[in-house]
Amino acid sequence: MANPMSIIGKNAVAIACDLRLGLQALTVSNDFPKIFQYGPDVFLGLTGLATDVQTVSDLFRYKVNLYRLREERDISPQTMANLVSTSLYEKRFGPFFVNPVVAGINRTTGEPFICGFDSIGCIDFAKDFIVSGTSADQLFGTCEALWQPDLEAEDLFETISQALLSAVDRDALAGWGAHVYIVEKDKVTKRLLKGRQD
Amino acid sequence: MAFIHPSSLLPSSNPSYSFREGIKSSAPGIQEHRFSPYADNGGSTLGIAGKDFTIIAGDTRQSSGYSINTRYAPKVFRIGGDDDSGTGAKIILAVTGFAADGNALKERLDSMVKMYKYQHGKDISVKACAQRLATILYSKRFFPYYTQAILGGIDEEGVGALYSYDYVGSYEREQCRAVGAAASLIMPFLDNQVNLKNQYVPGSGVGHDLKAKAAEPLEQSHVEQLVRDAFSGAVERHIEVGDGLQMLIATKDGIREIYTPLKRD
Amino acid sequence: MNHFPHGWGRPRDDIYGPYDHTYLSHSQSSGPNQHTQQPAVTGTSVLAAKFKDGVVIAADNLASYGSLARFTDVKRLHKFGEHAILGIGGDVSDMQYISRILNELDIDENYGSTGNTLNAKNLHTYLSKVMYARRTKINPLWNAILVAGLDGVGRPFLSSVDLLGTTFSSPTLATGYGSYLAQPLLRKLAETEDEVANVTREKAEKAVREALKVLFYRDARSLDRFSIAVVTKQGIELMEDEQLEGQSWAFADRIKGYGTQVN
Repeated sequence: MANPMSIIGKNAVAIACDLRLGLQALTVSNDFPKIFQYGPDVFLGLTGLATDVQTVSDLFRYKVNLYRLREERDISPQTMANLVSTSLYEKRFGPFFVNPVVAGINRTTGEPFICGFDSIGCIDFAKDFIVSGTSADQLFGTCEALWQPDLEAEDLFETISQALLSAVDRDALAGWGAHVYIVEKDKVTKRLLKGRQD
Repeated sequence: MAFIHPSSLLPSSNPSYSFREGIKSSAPGIQEHRFSPYADNGGSTLGIAGKDFTIIAGDTRQSSGYSINTRYAPKVFRIGGDDDSGTGAKIILAVTGFAADGNALKERLDSMVKMYKYQHGKDISVKACAQRLATILYSKRFFPYYTQAILGGIDEEGVGALYSYDYVGSYEREQCRAVGAAASLIMPFLDNQVNLKNQYVPGSGVGHDLKAKAAEPLEQSHVEQLVRDAFSGAVERHIEVGDGLQMLIATKDGIREIYTPLKRD
Repeated sequence: MNHFPHGWGRPRDDIYGPYDHTYLSHSQSSGPNQHTQQPAVTGTSVLAAKFKDGVVIAADNLASYGSLARFTDVKRLHKFGEHAILGIGGDVSDMQYISRILNELDIDENYGSTGNTLNAKNLHTYLSKVMYARRTKINPLWNAILVAGLDGVGRPFLSSVDLLGTTFSSPTLATGYGSYLAQPLLRKLAETEDEVANVTREKAEKAVREALKVLFYRDARSLDRFSIAVVTKQGIELMEDEQLEGQSWAFADRIKGYGTQVN
């Protein structure tokens, strides 16, 4: 199952995913978002085994809700990243088959933050972009060529959209439209991209 | 494809496995030791055809496993030149995959193009050369050249021509193509920037009414920059790509070469 | 009349008797043709480096049989003509075969009227075609070879070819274990072809000898007696019975049983 990706801009982050759900070559659904929100400006993208995507997203909803009750504040993306990492490592010898991506803006510092993980919680902090899923190779290519530092929100949207759509069009196991979130300070914009339906 | 046989040979020669294939384990208990006639020497090439030119480029790293054999082993060749240096050539061939097969293929096509000139008293057309290359590849259908080839030049109308092939000779004329280790990284970028895939005319409508941008022939200098960008991206994310970028540009005046260094890490 | 096309043009069985298949050479041993599937007696790394007026090449004098140091005085550098030399690693019997066919080639060439002997570049081209042809028959010559010398216009030449027919060249080269241990050290001499102009014979020879020493420390199938050759316009200087100088086993001072501490 295909790809969330996130990229960083100037005081903004973007996170996007395609919408296909498949059983190998067979497409099962064309409306299966893989990005989940865990606070006003914290997002988690999950690729991998669909049942684990749902289980893990629910598990984090539960954990983040408890965090909010206990701390009486929203979780920061950095804390979210550590929570994801430790939760995945708990299952070191029977892992969830997911490759998560975290994106958000830190409320206190105002800094954008992104990171990725392997299925047992090793964190990959990045200053530019994180990709995951079946089209990871293609996404690395498009992001590496299209991304540049300090993109403003609108340019960030254009960049992540072009990178994602061009990448999934070269992957038979991904596509069928996309969701894009642009996260700015005190503002989140969600857009639906149509994409090729084949 | 299932040609690669990973085998640890002797201590003094490298096991010739491919990253793409991974290491296959044989049946438990029995370790069969067999000679594999193939290796994967990594690297990537790409080609873009323009209105009156064709650019074919490739990195110059040759690797085997995690070792770098050399930082300068060209994968892009002039075909049908008058001498050793390839002056007078009009056709470009690029090969990735198994380097020894790539060289053998290059030499076969080169001598065939030269024979054509001696026998017919004129240069072969790119179209005919492309068909001949397919025949050469297919002639080894059951013991293939482990190479992915792209062939370029200027066609009979003076337009940039580019052909790409699979291992056994099925081929197609295209506008652009990335091949080799980093093909999956470069190709979507080319779709986007050369054929303008997923790009729409701003303000031409909302939702389904948006008009797709039509791909137009690109300026040569613009294409050269795209090639450089494609490779500097691939170098960052693929360990088999790097060291140097060799660009051969075919125009009506012949073939020009540009070499630029790439990261050597 | 035999109506089956299979029989046309063949000796008639009713006159000559059925064909005796034992005359076919491959059926003398029962079973299919046997090709080299793995090496037996082997030589380890070969090292070489270019310098501004020529090339240095070296290999130790050991031929191993698996982990047994079987022959300790085997010369793995072979001269060819006035300005070319090759260093061979891998199977020793295949090495001797290569040496023989190259000697035959050299003799044939010397019968020519032009007096031109094949240079190192020609030799490398020839060898690479031999190696590639044999791998294509799935009957490889199990070697990794470095060809060193001067090319047609007298410039230093260094290139390699292996059992698959893969060829490549570089300012410095090393085969086998040397490609892991020695090549990174040798690359300090000259990273690019342009930097070769700054390398003197002394620097190149010293670097090769030092790299050979590192290999002797860490490659279990290596020896401290070796051959080294220097090719320049003046010809080939080949020293076949050199000893590694200035060894230091300080890194193994607590390890008994080898090196300088026998007891």
